[in-house]
Amino acid sequence: MPHRSAPLTAMLTLAMLTLTGCARAEADAPAASPESTGHGAVARATEMSEPPLAVVTIDPGGTVRQLDLLDESVAELGEVPVASRASSDGRYVFADGGDGLSIVDSGRWTWDHVDHFHYYLAAPNMLGEVPGRGPATVATTSSSTTGGTGVFFAESGEAVLLDTAAMSRGELVERFRLEVDPHDGLVVPIGGYALVTQPQAGVAASVSVLDEDGMPQPGATADCADARGTVTTRVGAVIGCADGALLATLVDGGVELERIPYPAGTAAPPATAFAGRDGRPTVAGPAGDQGIWLLDTRERTWTLLAVDRPIVQATAVDDEAQHVLALAVDGRVLVIDGKTGVLLSQTGPLVADSLATDAGSPTLIADQARAYLNGPAEQVVYEIDFADAARISRTFATPTEPALFAETGR
Amino acid sequence: MSRRVPAALTALLTAGLAASVLAGCAPADDERPLVVVSTNILGDVVDRLVGDDVEVMTLMRPDADPHSFEISAQDAARLRTADLLVSNGLGLEEGLQQHIDAAVAEGVDSFVAGEAIAVLEYASGDAAGTPDPHFWTDPGRMIDVVEALAPRLSALSGVDAGGIDAHVDAYLAELAALEEDMTTAFETVPAERRALVTNHHVFGYLAERFGFRIVGAAIPGGTTLAAPSAADLAGLVTAIEENDVPAVFAESSSPDRLMQALAAETDTHVEVVELYTESLTASGGGAEDYLTMMRENTQRIATGLTR
Repeated sequence: MPHRSAPLTAMLTLAMLTLTGCARAEADAPAASPESTGHGAVARATEMSEPPLAVVTIDPGGTVRQLDLLDESVAELGEVPVASRASSDGRYVFADGGDGLSIVDSGRWTWDHVDHFHYYLAAPNMLGEVPGRGPATVATTSSSTTGGTGVFFAESGEAVLLDTAAMSRGELVERFRLEVDPHDGLVVPIGGYALVTQPQAGVAASVSVLDEDGMPQPGATADCADARGTVTTRVGAVIGCADGALLATLVDGGVELERIPYPAGTAAPPATAFAGRDGRPTVAGPAGDQGIWLLDTRERTWTLLAVDRPIVQATAVDDEAQHVLALAVDGRVLVIDGKTGVLLSQTGPLVADSLATDAGSPTLIADQARAYLNGPAEQVVYEIDFADAARISRTFATPTEPALFAETGR
Repeated sequence: MSRRVPAALTALLTAGLAASVLAGCAPADDERPLVVVSTNILGDVVDRLVGDDVEVMTLMRPDADPHSFEISAQDAARLRTADLLVSNGLGLEEGLQQHIDAAVAEGVDSFVAGEAIAVLEYASGDAAGTPDPHFWTDPGRMIDVVEALAPRLSALSGVDAGGIDAHVDAYLAELAALEEDMTTAFETVPAERRALVTNHHVFGYLAERFGFRIVGAAIPGGTTLAAPSAADLAGLVTAIEENDVPAVFAESSSPDRLMQALAAETDTHVEVVELYTESLTASGGGAEDYLTMMRENTQRIATGLTR
């Protein structure tokens, strides 16, 4: 779309006004201090020979704990305001209480060099709160030390881009904070840019490309009706739209937007959440009550997998066997062959009580070797060997309800 | 509008700061030319070539990661005053590249090792088709680099070119001896066993030079080994059996546990051997200089595969 739309111009004006405000806030923040890092290593971090995997739990009172999956020790990291949702990029844990977003740095991360990985362990850090009103939706990239982290506050309509490098140094620095019409929106970072949703009649309807300072890139917008759900894969950043996925990729230093439409004639509802293993091109999301949508961002294809019962979450392992995992409403974890849709194996009803009583947020997360699931009502964390008949390889009892859940070190 | 400090301004401030810092701390009597080297492997090589005529400053500390190491503002400023800047190139120094580019843009003379060699590309994986920067695992390519670099060093003003030529000849002889010794050591490994079953990603050049196959293998990590099953180890066991090797070369936080799991779950008995990859070690770490690192890896590979 070559013309600049009216809302975008309005946003540009707002951006300039808002940025003036940001400048003052930044002046108060502690100065970035690259001089303080010695040369030769990543400051204050130890390089590890394998991913320092852990899971973070947040209980109903806001206590944050980290369970080290290698030595099974548990550390209490601190407290956050009572939260109802959590998400993570594999290093930072974002806890959303509906009135501001708390951020915890787990101190564990994987640096993806494409040809290989490096693994780091540092001291965990309670980074503090990002102010805003209403449910906050977070979007991250595959890097926990560079680029931006996007936060959108639905009620105040504030689109915030945090400086991820500053977060890695323990500071919350906002690259921009824009005010747009309140809606269930998204700020999705990609390279030196961010995608921001624009509403029509209170519902996200299009996506605009801004630079890191919040300046719109002329002509860079795309329709995306009822934009919901986002994930970043090895290929680029994905936003779910009513009629397909919007895929943003970095090409020659700029952002290219392309559409991956759902297969013609499909009757399945669109995916509104996406999950997969970090660094892989394929992600999965529930297709309403019709099964699972698999989105291959490298091939630009959608595949619908039928499932014999309703599911609440899905994630793609995208390993050689193309395992897809789902959490069914009956509390079982299903292991599905992503090529054929065949149900390979399933666990017992691990979190049936939690799902039946709406306790906390059972969250299924997969890495290369294992999947993890929290049972808030069951007060337990499960480790599942999905490649070996959905065997429960380890079970960890937790001292309080693990209401919210994330895997770190990935 | 004063939002973030623009890059140019930062550079200006940094340069200003650097100027004042340097004025305060640079020894006034050190008039020697300055060669700044990015990686510690190349730093060691340059050290061996120049003798005392030249000040060599290596940016990457021992036991660091060449891709992501960070340098201080002081080092970044010093880099811009170098008489010659030596880097690996081929995308290795990701974290440092902006500083290298800035210095080159300001006119600092630069030598990129990757431009002096026949470059290999990664054969498989997500990085397939992109250049592999880890040329140093082949001593023959290090010889190419030294031969290309030597005239640049002896052309530095104020150095004794004859002295540098003598150092260069001596070091080239050591590299040739290394290459010969590696050839001899690897000849003890039967051709069908010349396979590196590994999760190390840096041995492509060594494999090409000495006729090894690289068999990429996922090495089970700590969460897998905590409660392993045969299925967890199947991929690695297949690679071991297909290549009939008595050792795998893996970066692992618990090699002993991996060996025990392989033996207990699959009756596969192999040695799990770690190799030095991308960085020299601190003194006492076993790979204090390039020649030592190469000889140690050679011995571990040859011994591991001829058990």
